[in-house]
Amino acid sequence: MWDIIAADISGRHRIKGGYYMVCAAAALTVSADHVEKVKQVKILPRWLDYPPKLLDVVQLIEDTADQLSFEGMVVTEKGDMYNEPKWVPESMFSRPFKYQESIAERRAIELVHHISLSARNLLIKELEIEA
Amino acid sequence: MILVKRTAPRSDPERSENLFLELYELAKAAGYRPVGELTQTRFPDSKYQLGRGKIEELAELVERTGAEKVIFYNKLSTTQLYNISELCRCQVIDRFQLILEIFAKRAVTYRSKLQVELARLRYELPRARAVVSLLKKEERAGFMGLGDYEDSYEQDLKKRISRIETELASAEKDDEALRAFRHRQGFSLISLAGYTNAGKSTLFNTLVDESTEARNMLFTTLVPMTRALDLGGRKALLTDTVGFIEELPHWMVDAFKSTLDGIFLSDLILLVVDVSEDPETILQKLTTCHDTLWDKIQGVPVITVLNKTDLLSPEELETRLEEIGYLAPNPIQVSAKDGAGIAELKAGIIGHLPPWETCSLSLPNSEKGMSVLSWLYEEGIVHGVEYGERILVDYEARAEVINRARALEQALGD
Repeated sequence: MWDIIAADISGRHRIKGGYYMVCAAAALTVSADHVEKVKQVKILPRWLDYPPKLLDVVQLIEDTADQLSFEGMVVTEKGDMYNEPKWVPESMFSRPFKYQESIAERRAIELVHHISLSARNLLIKELEIEA
Repeated sequence: MILVKRTAPRSDPERSENLFLELYELAKAAGYRPVGELTQTRFPDSKYQLGRGKIEELAELVERTGAEKVIFYNKLSTTQLYNISELCRCQVIDRFQLILEIFAKRAVTYRSKLQVELARLRYELPRARAVVSLLKKEERAGFMGLGDYEDSYEQDLKKRISRIETELASAEKDDEALRAFRHRQGFSLISLAGYTNAGKSTLFNTLVDESTEARNMLFTTLVPMTRALDLGGRKALLTDTVGFIEELPHWMVDAFKSTLDGIFLSDLILLVVDVSEDPETILQKLTTCHDTLWDKIQGVPVITVLNKTDLLSPEELETRLEEIGYLAPNPIQVSAKDGAGIAELKAGIIGHLPPWETCSLSLPNSEKGMSVLSWLYEEGIVHGVEYGERILVDYEARAEVINRARALEQALGD
């Protein structure tokens, strides 16, 4: 079994006045085909006035993962890193990084995707942000 | 035939090489003889995919070698196809069309022919308008040239697609009914999945003692084959299916949905891997398999069958297992060719199938009791029978069979 931090960002598209992104990161223990344990989940919203670049995305994921009390390899979808080859984001992260591969990692990403999307929708509604 | 590949800058050269090798194998599987190859590293050109100079070089190569076909690894747009074939003066196809050609050659049953046609039509549909307008650019249809060729061709394709979809949907319903029937009969459904040419058919033959065609070639199996598998009394059906391949487009997966459902809706999946390949390739192929499976299997257990172990030493095997462990759930090492590890695999299969319960039954030694006993033999495993005033049976079966057997025991007892 392996400890991973699954991360996903919702809201990299432009809304009125800028970009409202919400990152969700979850510390999990996974086997090859199952999520064995969800240990902790954190979310972090961020407002940008300019289109997010790869470094902004990496920074947001790092900041969200910093809130977790558990260590692990950061796992994301390739699309979140603008489909760059693995070594490009890997060189920007301060912790180990990889793209999703196994069934369990894909399920973990699906989980954090739902969390980030729902959290963003909720925050937009509660904070009355014009989307 | 000439093979061509454009590699994106900054991509992994080893991986590129492997993908090109796979294209070569695909071409061989389609029955072509490669007479040349050409690669270029650059971002795609909208007109030719490769640079203009490289395409002219390709045209010269075609003329020199007398090649009848050019096969591109990269997906080509209609305009690119048209422009390249205009320059090269021969037929140009991309990797998806090549896969379709192989499928078309292998399709023997009515359903697989329909599936191949559906995949071809779905590939053609978004290009239909452009193809027709390129071919008929000097010509207008209808009175005073006011008609349109494009619309009618596209409409024809759409009609044909919907007709095939209806036919395949009814076949899917038949499959569903058959699956339900087999489950009711106490059969566990097991399927072989894995990357193409991993040795699924060889393992299938070894497990069920069959002689299905198994060759060192991509996509040998296209039509699924199901046979009964002996698991020490438990009844199971093993299905050999079509292999996965990297970057298989969604329209092709959709077209083969009814075949792939056989894998996704089984009780256990045996994910076959050729462990003799280098670790990078194995990981890449396993990632493709996980990508195809992950959102379609709902908690179905997966056993990773590490095949072709006879080609590696025990030390090499151990290192290989460490390297690929995170992508190989429940690994079992076998050699389908010489039969090593098959007993362990069968034990692993039994361990992962839905559990059976055991019970002791006491039936009257009468005609009715004997008929219940014969039913028990059909539905599960009879570990022991003692004939006396009553028939005492030591029995193992699915929970619902046990419940029914107990009800019958009570009814006969009363």
